[in-house]
Amino acid sequence: MNDTGLAYLSVAEQAALIKKREISPVDLVEIYLGRIEKWDRVLHSWITVCADAARRQARQTESEIAAGRYLGPLHGIPFGAKDQIATGDVPTTMASVIQPDFGDGMTATAVQKLQDAGAILLGKNNLHEFGKGSSVNFHYGEPKNPWNIAYEPSHSSTGSGISVAAGLVSVALGEDTGGSIRGPAWANGVVGVRPTFGRVSRHGGIMYAWTQDTIGPLTRTVADNALVLQAIAGHDPKDPLSSTRPVPEYGRHLTPDLKGMKLGLVREMSVGQTLHPEVERMLGAALAVLRALGATVEEVSLPRAKFAVPLQFLTSDPDVAAVFLRKWLKKHWNKFDVGTRTRIAAAALVPAIVYARAMRARALVRNEILGAFRSYDALLALMNFVPPLRLQESVEKIESREDVASRMFKSRRMCTYPFSIANVPALSVPSGFTADGVPMSIQIAARPFDETTMYRVAHAYEQATGWHLRHPDLEKTVGPALQTADAQLTGA
Amino acid sequence: MELTTDDVRNLAKTIGLEIPDADLNTVALRLSGLLALMDEVEKALGDEMDKVDPIPPVYPREDF
Repeated sequence: MNDTGLAYLSVAEQAALIKKREISPVDLVEIYLGRIEKWDRVLHSWITVCADAARRQARQTESEIAAGRYLGPLHGIPFGAKDQIATGDVPTTMASVIQPDFGDGMTATAVQKLQDAGAILLGKNNLHEFGKGSSVNFHYGEPKNPWNIAYEPSHSSTGSGISVAAGLVSVALGEDTGGSIRGPAWANGVVGVRPTFGRVSRHGGIMYAWTQDTIGPLTRTVADNALVLQAIAGHDPKDPLSSTRPVPEYGRHLTPDLKGMKLGLVREMSVGQTLHPEVERMLGAALAVLRALGATVEEVSLPRAKFAVPLQFLTSDPDVAAVFLRKWLKKHWNKFDVGTRTRIAAAALVPAIVYARAMRARALVRNEILGAFRSYDALLALMNFVPPLRLQESVEKIESREDVASRMFKSRRMCTYPFSIANVPALSVPSGFTADGVPMSIQIAARPFDETTMYRVAHAYEQATGWHLRHPDLEKTVGPALQTADAQLTGA
Repeated sequence: MELTTDDVRNLAKTIGLEIPDADLNTVALRLSGLLALMDEVEKALGDEMDKVDPIPPVYPREDF
């Protein structure tokens, strides 16, 4: 198998080769470092690449495995972390230029758990400034979609999605408050999971939406995602809101069929909206596959879901502003991106009475969603009503009241925020491609702490469709831009 | 609710935030839009909102 083939293998496949010592973690790290050096000049999915440290750890891992001390399926697997997640002495920039490191020497519990399992930190992934999806400018380069660089790679955990999709790393960690893992998973054609709130420790994530923030994995397959979540989940005394519930063995419950399962398609997050024709066709095909696998699919109406977007902006954003205002915004206004600073400033000015009322409304929205889980094993929704947009169309411009309304009700947020407000687990799984070769996805959500069912539905669907076996041909999609960049550098 | 840039400047003063003139209109648009949307939420859910506790971020209930 050539280097490109190895780069695109799933974690499970790479782990099997490492365990048998048919490939070395040193080789795998070198393959990814080479690909990053070549392709990331255009893709901009990394802010920091810790090449020397990764090489050192890979050599150590190789020795451990050779000595018979194999730790398990993540031993020797390279991973990336959104540059919002603290990684010890590797700086955490938040994609900001305000200060070089926001990590304060912390190591996030999720990162520590991966490292304890033998995984190798390859570097830190690019993101929208501070993880807010409103950036207009990127201090570390504008991230590009590896399937078609003219299209958006979605918002926030953007580099994590790109790097996994482009075969620049085996797996990446992201952070999802309203959809920041699922969005980049959708646009880049990988699997992204927002776990149940409390399933994964928030410790070491530089994120202040304390009622909604989650850390989760982005991977090339559902089984890989289950494997990584298994490793990072569990109670952490450093996060008082992390759950003490036992972590199930997710991988044991992955089955090829869905016999007896009852799925609810949320009308307001799918067929109840005006859909782009390619999305409509994709959804019809996906539902047919799920039914063929043995599931019953019915439409369910959650009319309050439409309130999730403004309610998140009126509650979680003020929680973020409560920290940002004193620490950074007052001192460094001009160093913030205009989209980020105006969004946080607006959140800082939300009256306390409105915040308190919005928190009450959130309870009602959540209760409606939880109520649906009394009738359905899992809920289905789109990831967006349109495919990923062209880059220039995806930039969030606020020049009129209509722009604000458009961001609320016509954007991807309408599909992801309801499950965030409910704090239930939700997953984005690839479900097809547009005529321009850009990925599309469906979304699967489950009851709180029932990631097992969510993974089961997604795995059966993935195995039946095989979308996960497609990877971007970077020579075709990125190569021309690379040649242009090189020509500009040499002045040709 | 249509906030003017003067409204926003004065509101910001209450929390010690000085917003440059170039950004005032964008902040005003964002905040006005959000408050208008909250009016819609109040119209639809206001009475029920009086009867529930604000959402807890974790799941203490036995059924979930």
